[in-house]
Amino acid sequence: MAAATATSVDKIIHSPKELEAYRNKLKAKDKKNTRIVRVCIGTGCAAKGSHRLYELFCEAAEQAGSSNGGTVVIQSKHVGCHGLCELGPIVVIDPGQILYHSVEEPDVAEIFRETVLGGRVVEHLLYEDPRTGEKAKTPGEIPFYSVQKRIVLQHNGRIDPTSIDDYIAVGGYSSLAKALSSLEPEGIIDQVEQAGLRGRGGGGFPTASKWRSCRRAEAPEGIRYLICNGDEGDPGAFMDRSLMEGNPHSVLEGMVIGAFAIGATHGYIYVRNEYPLAVEHLKMALEQARKFGFLGQDILGRGFSFDIRINRGGGAFVCGESTALMASLEGRSGEPRTKYIHTVESGLNGRPTVLNNVETWANIPAIIGMGSSEFAAIGTERSKGTKVFSLVGKITNTGLVEVPMGITLRRIIEEIGGGVQGGKAFKAVQTGGPSGGCIPAQHLDAAVDFDELTRLGSMMGSGGMIVMDEDTCMVNVAKYFLGFLKSESCGKCTPCREGIAQMLAILERISKGEGELEDLDRLETLAELLSEGSLCALGKTAANPILSTLKYFRGEYEEHIRNKHCPARECKGLFLYRIDPEACTGCGICRKNCPVKAISGERKAPHVIDQAVCTKCNTCFEKCPFGAINKV
Amino acid sequence: MPVVNIEGKTVTVARESTILEAARKAHVWIPTLCYHPTLPSLGSCRICLVEILGQDGAPGPLVTACNYPVRRDITVSVSSERAVRVRNGVMQLLLARSPESGELQELAHRMGVGGTPYPKVTESQRNCILCGLCIVVCEEVIGASAIGFAGRGVERAVASPFRQASETCIACGACAAVCPVGTIQVRIHADTGEAEISPFKSRSKLLICEECGVRMVSVPVAQAMSDRVKIDWEEFRRLARLCPECRRKQAVKALSLGAGEQSVTPLEKIKIKES
Amino acid sequence: MDRELVAQIIGRYERDPGMLIPMMQDLQAEYGYLPAEQLRELAAELAVPLTRVYGVAMFYSSFRLAPKGAHEVTLCMGTVCYLKGSPRISEAICQEYGIEPGGTTPDRLFTLQAVNCVGACALAPVMIVDGKYYDGVTPESALEILSALPPEDDTPEVAEASVNAGSPAAGSGSKGEGS
Repeated sequence: MAAATATSVDKIIHSPKELEAYRNKLKAKDKKNTRIVRVCIGTGCAAKGSHRLYELFCEAAEQAGSSNGGTVVIQSKHVGCHGLCELGPIVVIDPGQILYHSVEEPDVAEIFRETVLGGRVVEHLLYEDPRTGEKAKTPGEIPFYSVQKRIVLQHNGRIDPTSIDDYIAVGGYSSLAKALSSLEPEGIIDQVEQAGLRGRGGGGFPTASKWRSCRRAEAPEGIRYLICNGDEGDPGAFMDRSLMEGNPHSVLEGMVIGAFAIGATHGYIYVRNEYPLAVEHLKMALEQARKFGFLGQDILGRGFSFDIRINRGGGAFVCGESTALMASLEGRSGEPRTKYIHTVESGLNGRPTVLNNVETWANIPAIIGMGSSEFAAIGTERSKGTKVFSLVGKITNTGLVEVPMGITLRRIIEEIGGGVQGGKAFKAVQTGGPSGGCIPAQHLDAAVDFDELTRLGSMMGSGGMIVMDEDTCMVNVAKYFLGFLKSESCGKCTPCREGIAQMLAILERISKGEGELEDLDRLETLAELLSEGSLCALGKTAANPILSTLKYFRGEYEEHIRNKHCPARECKGLFLYRIDPEACTGCGICRKNCPVKAISGERKAPHVIDQAVCTKCNTCFEKCPFGAINKV
Repeated sequence: MPVVNIEGKTVTVARESTILEAARKAHVWIPTLCYHPTLPSLGSCRICLVEILGQDGAPGPLVTACNYPVRRDITVSVSSERAVRVRNGVMQLLLARSPESGELQELAHRMGVGGTPYPKVTESQRNCILCGLCIVVCEEVIGASAIGFAGRGVERAVASPFRQASETCIACGACAAVCPVGTIQVRIHADTGEAEISPFKSRSKLLICEECGVRMVSVPVAQAMSDRVKIDWEEFRRLARLCPECRRKQAVKALSLGAGEQSVTPLEKIKIKES
Repeated sequence: MDRELVAQIIGRYERDPGMLIPMMQDLQAEYGYLPAEQLRELAAELAVPLTRVYGVAMFYSSFRLAPKGAHEVTLCMGTVCYLKGSPRISEAICQEYGIEPGGTTPDRLFTLQAVNCVGACALAPVMIVDGKYYDGVTPESALEILSALPPEDDTPEVAEASVNAGSPAAGSGSKGEGS
């Protein structure tokens, strides 16, 4: 454990009073005539070049600053993920919270001149509602944001994630101060219990219950561990990434409060190998927190010591499972173990351990800050608070959303998400990643909470929400997830290791038109075997994608088997390509490009595909400039 | 001390005993594969799954008998429909994986499983059920750690590092001894006087008897044994001149006085003939 | 073999065997892959069994035991390419360079990958070299293309996500990205 490095004695905050004084000092610096340009540098926007935008804004600010004699103070900040990744790079100007999207380098000069200096709006960079054509100036006017309730994400996009001052100025670490000065450890656990917080990583286990068990477990030498699970492995989920990148201090604050409540001495943050920016921002945050005395010895004068180290994953989905994660932290392969003895009793290195997800930790400062009753007022009876979802797939507004538990799927998909892309028909939304299931249109008005989603045959999971349209083949969806799980299964226990491979083999046959009706029974038998016999949650839930698609889309499976036809026209070889004689202009492009010479026709006359020769390679479909080729 | 009610029989066991231990005490049979009495239980093969019943025999969770710790009074059903169905399903999956193992087929037969409806889905690690017993015995008991798991999922294998013949293997055959499906074999090569552990390809020369030339044990094992065994030959010869009764008295005397360090006779001084 | 590097890395983590994975990550960051010799040294210095180090290297997807070639060669095995003879091309390449599909040539010139349909069936058989598409490839023309490959990778380096780098990697293609 790295020793706390206090490089500047001035910086250490010894008490809540000192913290308050420091915060007031920071706020006093805020001048009324400050203009701020916030450029998002989350991974999504960075991939589109937002770093360069930030540099350009910095340059412009410098020039303007030196030329106007200091009457206008211009600040450029780089900020974390706003969530509307579809429309990145995102730039927000204050005063006024003017939001611009898809900003490119040539736009910088215009934005700076018109908005930052002139207070005017640049129309063509404003968000436009695709359904109404209305322009929105501020986030509050954009349905994507206005329907959300951002508690955990409230500071994402506002503060510079690499600046602890920014975090403190907006109230950061005040919950820690409140907890350490006015609450006892058991009292903190009571607050979390009254708030009704359930784990946000997928299990939905009552957080307070876990903490209490760990606190009461025997701890030789007084050692207890606290782990933050940042191994977000579900394909299509990036909530934790955005939190770790965009507001790492909120996670740290939650962990320190938790450590005090549980009596933990050492903390770990386990970050997926594929999130280098998250690791970097967390590292910076740790160093800053130590400098300020929020980590290390005698935190805020309470006589309680705690520090955190970061470990990166090695690339294994199974390490999102708590015992596998702990094995990884012990320098071993990520194999889970049976949990007849709970990890709160004997976890990492055989010691009492609490493991919680990133989002769970980020909720803690909010709960202590607003109080448990206000938190519990949000959500449903058994699912309190909010949940962050990554809304992806065939949806107009791809991005990160935070909503109160109990909101309907319809509101998320239609109001926030802007509906299905390209005007296609909604087919299903997949939640819970490879452990979850697909929910069809008839349940769009279901309330999103832990129990409801489970009742519908899926689960909350970590928050991935993948929207599918009429062109998605549900057999293919099941096959995709099983393929994923096959490569990620650790191989320790028989049902998961062998069973997933068996189920995948069956799905492959079905998707090639080689299935039998008995295959559906075989899949159900194997599904049951896996859910009853597997050692860990990966195996136990592995069959969910199959079970839920069978539940709601059995007809599609039967169509593949009986008629060797894929109704969504996705499974290669199980649908035909046919030229519409009315639409075909006889241009001959398809004929010339067909690699097996299956198309014939005279110039300017409708062409025909010889089905006996056609290999269904899709070339003609792609090449036809008139969309005259249909998949049937 | 908790009471375990299993298949209508009742036994009292020490706290933290496993259900399997309770079952054996009650003479109730539960099939096992990856379990070995001298090694830590892995709970990986899942063939020992049993059901813990709730109040009034209500259905409850399935747990692996080999490592479930008994901490309070419980009722266990080995023959419940669910437990039988899942255990049989596991066996069917294993039979698909290891079709040639006689031991596995015997166990299947005893469980009442006739065959398997499942095809083979992998060519990797033929006939191995990946129980891990060979790995555990090599690491924990022998201390050689010559083999380990390589890879994940259904393509996982048991192998020596870099798939080369292990440098630490002493060809003791412990892995073959614990292998429940007979996949690991010790092969004696007459021409080279070597023992080979198949399929790991490691070989060691065999020690042969000075007198009659019969092959005894591998040289590394002999070396390891003699490193651990310390014999004082003078003392040995002196004791040999006593009758058993007096020898016993001497031993008691030595024990009660707390015998001091015995001198060691190094291996080089003992003549061994290697072929 | 750089003994010092291994000793340095182990020291960085206070010789804690529980930090084996970060140590291996640092080792791979130095070499681009995990050389067998270095792994042996690591196991010996840290006093953990070599099987454990090897097992960890084989378990986690991010670890590579063989260096990737300077160039990436992809052969499409989709239906049309298959019908048009891509297996013969694969065979020819493997024979000429002494590799298996998925393998890397001994001189690390290129790594050969087989994929199931790159969606360019009009170009069948398709071979992609460092992102450049070659159409209508035959065993002879494929070998010709490969023999002309420069020994050094002269395409702009794709920044591999490296924690040790100071600046965040752009477009690191994280698996968690929205689809």
